[in-house]
Amino acid sequence: MDWVAVALSQDLRNAMAMPARIDGTDLALWRSMSGQVHAWGDRCPHRGMRLSHGFVRGETLSCIYHGWQYGQDGGCTSIPAHPKLTPPKTICATTYQCVEDGGLIWVALNEVTTAPPTLSGKTPVRSVQINTPRHEVAAHFGDAEATIVNAVDMTLVLQSTDDAHCIAHVLSTADPKVASRWIEAQRAEIEGVAA
Amino acid sequence: MNNSADNHWYPVAMCSGIDDPRETQLLGRKISLGGTSGNFWVRDSEGRDLPVIEKYGHLWTSPGKPNRDLFDIPEADDVGRRLVDVGSVRVKCSPLRAVENFLDIAHFPFVHTDILGAEPHTEVERYDVKIHEDVDEIWATKVKFFQPQAAKSAGGGIITDYKYRVAAPTCAVLYKTSPPRPGEWDVITLFVQPLTEELCEVWPWMALYDDDAEMADLVSFQQMIFMQDRSILENQIPRKLPLDPGLEAPTQADLTSVAYRRWLKKIGYSYGAQVVAA
Amino acid sequence: MILYDYVLSASCYKVRLMASLIGVPLTLKALNFHPEKAHKSPDMLALNPEGTLPILIDGDDVLTQSPDMLRHLVKDNADWLGNDPVQTDHWLGFAAGLNASLGMARLHDILSYEADIDQVRRDGVTQLRQLEEHLTEQRIDGFAFLTGNAPTIADIACFPNTALAPDGGISLDPYPSIRLWMRDIRSLPNFIEMPGIHRLHELVTPSETTA
Repeated sequence: MDWVAVALSQDLRNAMAMPARIDGTDLALWRSMSGQVHAWGDRCPHRGMRLSHGFVRGETLSCIYHGWQYGQDGGCTSIPAHPKLTPPKTICATTYQCVEDGGLIWVALNEVTTAPPTLSGKTPVRSVQINTPRHEVAAHFGDAEATIVNAVDMTLVLQSTDDAHCIAHVLSTADPKVASRWIEAQRAEIEGVAA
Repeated sequence: MNNSADNHWYPVAMCSGIDDPRETQLLGRKISLGGTSGNFWVRDSEGRDLPVIEKYGHLWTSPGKPNRDLFDIPEADDVGRRLVDVGSVRVKCSPLRAVENFLDIAHFPFVHTDILGAEPHTEVERYDVKIHEDVDEIWATKVKFFQPQAAKSAGGGIITDYKYRVAAPTCAVLYKTSPPRPGEWDVITLFVQPLTEELCEVWPWMALYDDDAEMADLVSFQQMIFMQDRSILENQIPRKLPLDPGLEAPTQADLTSVAYRRWLKKIGYSYGAQVVAA
Repeated sequence: MILYDYVLSASCYKVRLMASLIGVPLTLKALNFHPEKAHKSPDMLALNPEGTLPILIDGDDVLTQSPDMLRHLVKDNADWLGNDPVQTDHWLGFAAGLNASLGMARLHDILSYEADIDQVRRDGVTQLRQLEEHLTEQRIDGFAFLTGNAPTIADIACFPNTALAPDGGISLDPYPSIRLWMRDIRSLPNFIEMPGIHRLHELVTPSETTA
């Protein structure tokens, strides 16, 4: 699997975590205080709590359940129940490659050596979930295999979240409100057809 | 000893709340119940009568043949305690995850912030855990934790002493310092009705020394605490409780949890458990 | 002012939150809504024949509708009413819709209320999509809140049932603008939480935690 766009950069502020999903794999996306973005498996190694519910302090992400804190490399740096303990190196969140490019946050679940696709200088507008499989959405725009589809002054970058849902990240050269309403109308049409 | 999930007692209703016959679920099967105090009945989906016990404010039943009586909470009979029916909350989680969370103190500063715990008082000191083979129970003792507002009756922060007791696979009892009577223990229970392996009805119940608080305040306090836990319980992956070590990473603060999982495995209780590591 | 309150009620929380944000003290009278249904007791029905919570008492005034309570609380804080009464009214009405959909799904999932759960969840998703679309357009215009760049009673009315949607089995994952809006509300000075809505632990700086 190659790079998958999972969010717009503007939707993940500094010192914030949020959930994402690629083909059934749950992710915690988070941005450190200094602006560095990370994509981890959405599971604290301690008790399986979703890390996307966690909180960011400085350059670390903490689990909301017991406050276990993880550094940039995913390694556990602090266990509040045992303040004097240096956590063993084996306690580590699952980390994935994650970069920002073209106003999008891209994640690769497997090792990739290429850069994410270059988009054509359009402005990111919004991400919209469509309750339809990705290939059906792509087919609606003419190519079921595509993950990036172009329609007049819009570009859609498609993210398959699971077998039944996908997210369309919308970029546009048009008035962003026009683009926002356009994708709402497209979604209604696609979900209507799919149903 | 037959340890299948069927052969244990489970809470299925609050005795004071049975106005009309109703249906519920137990271990994935439909049951019906009704009656009045002294005459309650519970039936399986084929209309067969199941055994009933009326105790600790709740109606208990078992779809199998329990090989022991319902566990005893002697404090329930103490003169001067107020018995508090907290009512039920439904949670989309394994019944075993609900019990394990109830046995945990290290989450207090983050989930029950400024009530049961607060940073920087996060340290969990060593405590004792023992599996009592004779009565088939787990006891955690000498548990201490700093609490900003330990109970409705607590005015300010205190070091609270706890004892935890797993009395049955889906029932736990905690004993904590009674703020108005520091020499006595308040009793707070978590009775869990497994509807399915990933859905449960949770019935907290309390026997407290507190002559002053309004009953509504006592109920609200406990519902608030449990609902703070609910958003955690519905977001643990996997939903079932992993019994094999390896998938999760316990520390010394988790000794009760470790003992609970080991004990469930030993008695062969697998309903709501993930037995093989994924 | 006295608020007849239930700790798990989204509507009661609207009033507690609003009062906290503007620094108005409330005397809370907890009712055993569940399991005792104390809000349907003869005493409470005498106070509010509709048998609903919350109820706000200020001198001789007895208010039983949460939008009225929000307006009453901010009567000396005109900023919180917003500049456009039509917009404010619209969102207070929208909040009532959220209570009927997301709020009912929550009561169904937590307290086993009878409901056409699929229908209320569908309605909830439709409304969340409307909210997301509006908040996205607000962001495009540079506004963080429902009616402008400052929070109003419209935001406070819509926030609780939205933030508690997961309690009713409705995911908030697909809504980036709602997520940022909720974060802005949770970041307000004197914000208070309720069960199901955690505080932002990131607002505590590490130096404070090790003090």
